[in-house]
Amino acid sequence: MTDPYKVLGISQNASDEEVKRAYRELAKKYHPDNYVDNPLADLAQEKMKEINEAYDSITRARKNGGYAGGSGYNAGYSAGGGSSGYSGGGSYQSANSTYAQVRQAINAGNLQYAEQLLDSSPTRDAEWNFLMGSLYYRKGWLDDARSFFQRAVNMDPSNGEYRQALSMVSGNNSPYRQTGYGPPAAQGGCDMCDMCTAMMCANMMCGGCR
Amino acid sequence: MFGYVRPAAEELKVREFERFRACYCGLCHELGRLYGLPGRSILNYDFVFLAMLLWGGEGECGYCMRRCAPGLFRKKCVCSTARPLTVAAGYSVILAYWKARDDLADSRGLKKLPAMAAALWLRRGYRRAAAAHPGFDADVHDRLAALAALEAEGTESLDRPADQFARLLASAASEADEPSRRALGQLLYHVGRIIYIADAWSDLADDLKSGSFNPLARRFGLTSAQVPAEAKERVWQTLNSSVNLACAAFELLDDGYWSSVTKNIVYLGVPRMIDEVLAGTYRAPGRRIPTRPQLGQNGE
Repeated sequence: MTDPYKVLGISQNASDEEVKRAYRELAKKYHPDNYVDNPLADLAQEKMKEINEAYDSITRARKNGGYAGGSGYNAGYSAGGGSSGYSGGGSYQSANSTYAQVRQAINAGNLQYAEQLLDSSPTRDAEWNFLMGSLYYRKGWLDDARSFFQRAVNMDPSNGEYRQALSMVSGNNSPYRQTGYGPPAAQGGCDMCDMCTAMMCANMMCGGCR
Repeated sequence: MFGYVRPAAEELKVREFERFRACYCGLCHELGRLYGLPGRSILNYDFVFLAMLLWGGEGECGYCMRRCAPGLFRKKCVCSTARPLTVAAGYSVILAYWKARDDLADSRGLKKLPAMAAALWLRRGYRRAAAAHPGFDADVHDRLAALAALEAEGTESLDRPADQFARLLASAASEADEPSRRALGQLLYHVGRIIYIADAWSDLADDLKSGSFNPLARRFGLTSAQVPAEAKERVWQTLNSSVNLACAAFELLDDGYWSSVTKNIVYLGVPRMIDEVLAGTYRAPGRRIPTRPQLGQNGE
């Protein structure tokens, strides 16, 4: 097994406080919420698991050695907790069976199959546009995604799912921008709030996250 | 169309900046060693970034003192030859050659001459590079052909042509080792997407004048280089989302010798470049050896 201290990027004689801080930093970085609808979500999840194991083993070792380790913190950031993508069985159930399949395929990351299904679909209704948008969003094609979401909303303005998706891609969501170590943000605005709003919108879009 | 990806130099520590410069010079010497003067002439920042990324989790790089034409009288400390530099050098020659061939096919009349000269100038080096990296050569050829086909059909999507260029750059990740290959591919994909769209923005006025294909002009139906605020906002958002995805991918790479510099590029250099390009204040770096910024030069 790899050295848990190395995983957390700290030295062996770091204080309990430092261990906790390093763990928190990393857990924030690889939190599943940062990788919603991201094709690399599984890699982030693996990292999360590594960090959790490292933190656990350090706290356990320190406890046994007589140190008061701060265990129990772990529960908040469990690796498997991230539900990403569109859950097919959530509150948004497709009436059309092709669309249900598409949702499943997008959810599983099988974008090619989803695209095939959508291309061969005879109808081009609001949900079709919404799913096209979701597919492109997953690919990282934000501009096309937004156009399709917009079309879906125009065709069916009453649908909350479509509106949420559109507001998510139109929002100014910058969880990473200017969070390095640089000069004050040129764009201004409240970074943490932006981040929270973005996360909330992303979460709502997932439908069955509960 | 290259040179967009560079660090926010004033945010680098002095030793990080010196390393970055040494890597830049190292790539130049590598290009010279393998492909002669034509190779050196295509040196650009983007491939320095690629070389640093391909370094991965490997340890410190070796340095040596070398002379070169701009610094004839004083030897400079440069990175000594290493596999990532060799690969980045080969890739840049392949890409520059196919770009010149592409320009040649696009241009008409007397304008063909510079493109033809560039293709001829690079041909020898290209043959050597293609023999060393046949996979990347095939990828670049395929992607640029698909891009040309999309341009010929006059696609109204911004993402489709950008996707082809982005995939071209992402295929440079095939050199990396397995655990980080996917993350690196994703990072390069989004950096490629940003480069393509930023370049389209920079070329907008010229393309409208000459009537060449420009994805932004097609996408937003532009007839003058004065872009409406709404369209500008859309472009900024789509670029920003790529920055976010690139950062998310970057975090999954292993820490290595160059991480502090590449982090600066992804988190600060690229967003700044985007802001400057969209504001019209961006200036291409040319081929000067990077110099440390002086006080008061940090764009404030």
